[in-house]
Amino acid sequence: MRNLIIFLRRYFNFFLFLLLEVICIIFILRNNNFQHTAYLNSANAISGKLYTQYNDVQYYFHLKATNDSLVAENTRLHNELRDSFDFKDTTNTIKTDTIKTYSEDSTHKLITSQPRRWLYREAKVIRASVNQEVNYITIHRGRNQGIQPNMGVIGPSGVVGMVRSVSDNYAVILSFLSKLKAEKSFGISARLKNGGETGTVYWDAHDIEEGIMEDVPKSAKLKRGDTVLTSGYGSFPKDIMVGIVDTFYIADKSKTSISIRLRYATNFSNLQHVYVIENLLEAEQLKLEDSTKKVIK
Amino acid sequence: MSVLLKNIIRFILLILVQVCVLNNILIHQLVSPYIYMLFILLLPLNIPRPALQLLGLLLGLTLDMFMDTMGMHAAACVAIAYLRPFIINVLSPQGGYEVTQKTPSITSMGLSQFAIYVTILVAIHNIIYFSIVTFGWANPLYLLLKIVLSTAVSLFLVLLYELLFFVRK
Repeated sequence: MRNLIIFLRRYFNFFLFLLLEVICIIFILRNNNFQHTAYLNSANAISGKLYTQYNDVQYYFHLKATNDSLVAENTRLHNELRDSFDFKDTTNTIKTDTIKTYSEDSTHKLITSQPRRWLYREAKVIRASVNQEVNYITIHRGRNQGIQPNMGVIGPSGVVGMVRSVSDNYAVILSFLSKLKAEKSFGISARLKNGGETGTVYWDAHDIEEGIMEDVPKSAKLKRGDTVLTSGYGSFPKDIMVGIVDTFYIADKSKTSISIRLRYATNFSNLQHVYVIENLLEAEQLKLEDSTKKVIK
Repeated sequence: MSVLLKNIIRFILLILVQVCVLNNILIHQLVSPYIYMLFILLLPLNIPRPALQLLGLLLGLTLDMFMDTMGMHAAACVAIAYLRPFIINVLSPQGGYEVTQKTPSITSMGLSQFAIYVTILVAIHNIIYFSIVTFGWANPLYLLLKIVLSTAVSLFLVLLYELLFFVRK
């Protein structure tokens, strides 16, 4: 026993070092798990406040560019409002949040009635990193304002990321400029505007303006400058801009898919406002999919 | 100014510079400028080793909180805090440094000794941090280039810091 104590005393520093490193590694492993809520992060009170004040100053330098992009976006939204609505059987429920279409002749008959599916909430970006392998964006809008994890986030010109964790008034977004080794699946489900072929867009940590789109079938007809949009399968509505095709190549003759390098539509380095998208019908969809999986099992 | 107050101010200053300035600089995807670990390097020579390691953990976690990299900077900081006394031992002249000179600096250690000391610890920090961030050695050339370039930029920043706060004896 005495020898043990002497031994421990002698190597106390080394054991303390090991203990602290183990604590750090536990933190890292807990944080890497996407399902776990990350607790000590930039959404907390101290850093949230600092970033808010820092952004107040920085915001002025971007006012002109921000205004321009907001005006452009407003124009686009006016033209596209109808896209936020979805078809629904209206025989037995009454929904207040619907859009109604009437015929244009004198009878003015009701043609369709569509309930809201996607709900957009604007949010102010108070911090965005672009120089890491995994980049996060902190926004000044949280649980109290209706933000939940796993909601999609878009900017004025294209997709931005997914909500990762929320506190009362802040939320942290995992930006699409993120190369996650643990989860290969972190990408955008995207679609070519011309042909309609789908694929997955992810980032390879080389250039903040460029990403890679994979799993596009060989039959796709491509040319430089083609538009890539969201497919509408995940947390994003259909037809939101992802990027523009830059180059494309077939990595391996035996492969059946093409790899595409594309330029992101979003400029991640000067984000000021983003829109968090809630899918109001998601709970219903997930419930149906889960019950279907159970039936198959 | 007391040593304690000086170090508290240095802690806050370095974290602020790191978070508000350096993290917003994008030179190239391969270069991530870091200077905050200078706090550990400039702690007094006679600080007890457990305190040194705990301060390393505190510094790392503070930066992690701002950068959403839970534990990654902390792991690197604890490692350099643990290794610091060994490096100083190797570099120090026979019989250690004079007790009056309390912090490692160019004046107390000599330019070449101090340069070696800073280079080794900054390099160790970057090696550990970037290895953790990229999850291993899958792309060794990229990782190596990133470590070397980031270390070079960090050393340049340390040089600037030393020029700014250089105290002539």
